[in-house]
Amino acid sequence: MLKYLGRRAATYVVMIFLTTSATYFLAVSTMKPALLEQERIPRPTPEQVERSFKGLGLDPTASPWERYVDWLSGVLFRWDWGRSPNSAFVNEQFGDRVWVSTRLFLAAIILTLVIGVVLGVVSAARQYKISDRLITGYSYFVYILPAPIGYFLIQLGAIQINAMAGERIFFVTGIATPGVEPGWEAFWDMAAHYAVPTFAITVMGWQAYQIAQRQYLLDNVNADFVRTARAKGLTRNQAISRHALRVSFIPVAQSIAFTIPAIFTGGFFAEAIFAWPGIGLWGIQAISMADVNGTVATVAYASLIFAIGAILADFATTLVDPRVRVS
Amino acid sequence: MTTWGTPDPRDIGTLEPDAEPTLEHGVVKSKNAIILRRFLRNRTAVLGLCMFGFLCVFAAFGGLLSPWDSRTIDPLAVSQGPSAEHWFGTSQSGRDLYMQMVDGVRTSIVIGLIVGLGSALLAAVYGCTMAYFGGRVEKYMLLFLETLIMVPTILIVAIATSGGGGLKENVPGWILLTAVLLLFGWMGAARLIRSLGLSLMTREFIKAAQFMGIHPFKIVWRHLVPNIGSLLVLEVTKGISLAVLAEISFSFVGIGVKDPDISLGVLIAQASSQVSSFPWMFWFPLAAMFFLTGALAMMNDGLRDAFDPHSTSVGKAKP
Repeated sequence: MLKYLGRRAATYVVMIFLTTSATYFLAVSTMKPALLEQERIPRPTPEQVERSFKGLGLDPTASPWERYVDWLSGVLFRWDWGRSPNSAFVNEQFGDRVWVSTRLFLAAIILTLVIGVVLGVVSAARQYKISDRLITGYSYFVYILPAPIGYFLIQLGAIQINAMAGERIFFVTGIATPGVEPGWEAFWDMAAHYAVPTFAITVMGWQAYQIAQRQYLLDNVNADFVRTARAKGLTRNQAISRHALRVSFIPVAQSIAFTIPAIFTGGFFAEAIFAWPGIGLWGIQAISMADVNGTVATVAYASLIFAIGAILADFATTLVDPRVRVS
Repeated sequence: MTTWGTPDPRDIGTLEPDAEPTLEHGVVKSKNAIILRRFLRNRTAVLGLCMFGFLCVFAAFGGLLSPWDSRTIDPLAVSQGPSAEHWFGTSQSGRDLYMQMVDGVRTSIVIGLIVGLGSALLAAVYGCTMAYFGGRVEKYMLLFLETLIMVPTILIVAIATSGGGGLKENVPGWILLTAVLLLFGWMGAARLIRSLGLSLMTREFIKAAQFMGIHPFKIVWRHLVPNIGSLLVLEVTKGISLAVLAEISFSFVGIGVKDPDISLGVLIAQASSQVSSFPWMFWFPLAAMFFLTGALAMMNDGLRDAFDPHSTSVGKAKP
């Protein structure tokens, strides 16, 4: 099992390398930060711009390949992801934000997965009853609602609740209140700020898992081995939980990896809507500043999150599927 | 929520590659006639189709009904609610919202159609090639495909539509968005088609064609692609709705389609900062969005049931 997971991890490292390199070339050939420099007042001369970019390792006259080799050796040998056009260090900028986003994304991914699978099982076990219709109907509704608009409506709702209560229950923007004492107070403040974005990503995200789990479980409930279990005297719920559940979870576990990009995109949208100072918001700003190194670092981070999710999926698969463990 | 590349379990295993012509009361009915009948029997699906058709007509000819156009500014009516003159009210700059919505719905539908049709075609060719060749070719093609899934589409959209480079000046934003959505929207379908193609590869007619020495690409095009037709149709409708949803999402957060191009996402985004003071600017485009995405979801569901020979959701065929 460890060997299998190790082999998969090696594949993901290769994939991260490929996506990052491809993005580097795309970014280097389309982004021209020198053009944005021309809008500064007083307007710098082209020579000044070139000199300052050379000092930052962003020499616009060098060929993309030279810059790529330069950048790659920096990343591999010194773990230096380069500098932005405004002379900030990408490593430093990233370090401040990376935990903000990672905490948000990982909490959202795990909550989404657990709630989605549980609701899928519940709705399959009570097929066509009122609870099934409500849960599945909600999933179809979310399917036709674009994520950022959903977040926006949740934000409106939270503001409405705050207005009705007459005090600030939910924080709908930002990550922390300035001037809060560190310690327990800061912890509760952070939790209050995390609540709405995490809630929003979760309620907008679980529909894929719910529908998938419901469908696979329903396929298995009518299979012969479950009927045998019923015939031997197990109740319907016992038969589902002991025999059908494990088999039906395998395809869902395998699909986890491919839903991670969706949750990640959802996280980006959430950061944009809730003005959350994480990687997503920063990455979008880096792109609008034509910051090649910042953009590439964001893509590498996104690929890493995907790889973590994919390894999680592989792990879950090996856990429930004995065939993977044996071979 | 838009879930690019998520395998849809409802598609797997429910589609029979080729059903035999059915004998009903001595009359042989073709597969397509049966599928059409099953589709038409499903009220929700037909309603979805009608709604989608209505929106297409609205987008194409809705502009003829109103004397305004989407760019003319009416200085006498700025930020006005719905009235007899401006049916859906006007925006902050005094433009007619009804005409803006005609344009917006058109952009959204065009993006959806291009991406839906194009990505299904790409997925069919790629998936079938993978299934046909197998072995090492399949391994590397699968690696490439999974790498593409890994790329965060949102960043690529942002790079294409807002990078300070020359792309933005020469090509309108909505075309760039369409291109990116097309390039990064076919992978989920391709994986699905591969798994269906793998089971087709063991069938006799493929073996026969191979032994006759027919060119591999011809076998893929002539024998594999038609046999996954029903799955492809589903992928087209699913691709359209995913593309429409993606366009609205990206435009809403300010990447993707941008002013002066108008799309549903742009209209919703423009209104979102003052929902309480100008509610009509927000709720009319939002209602149009639900109308569009809802219609597509209903159609997709009905088509799936129509293609699935085991589905009982529309009742049994009448004798």
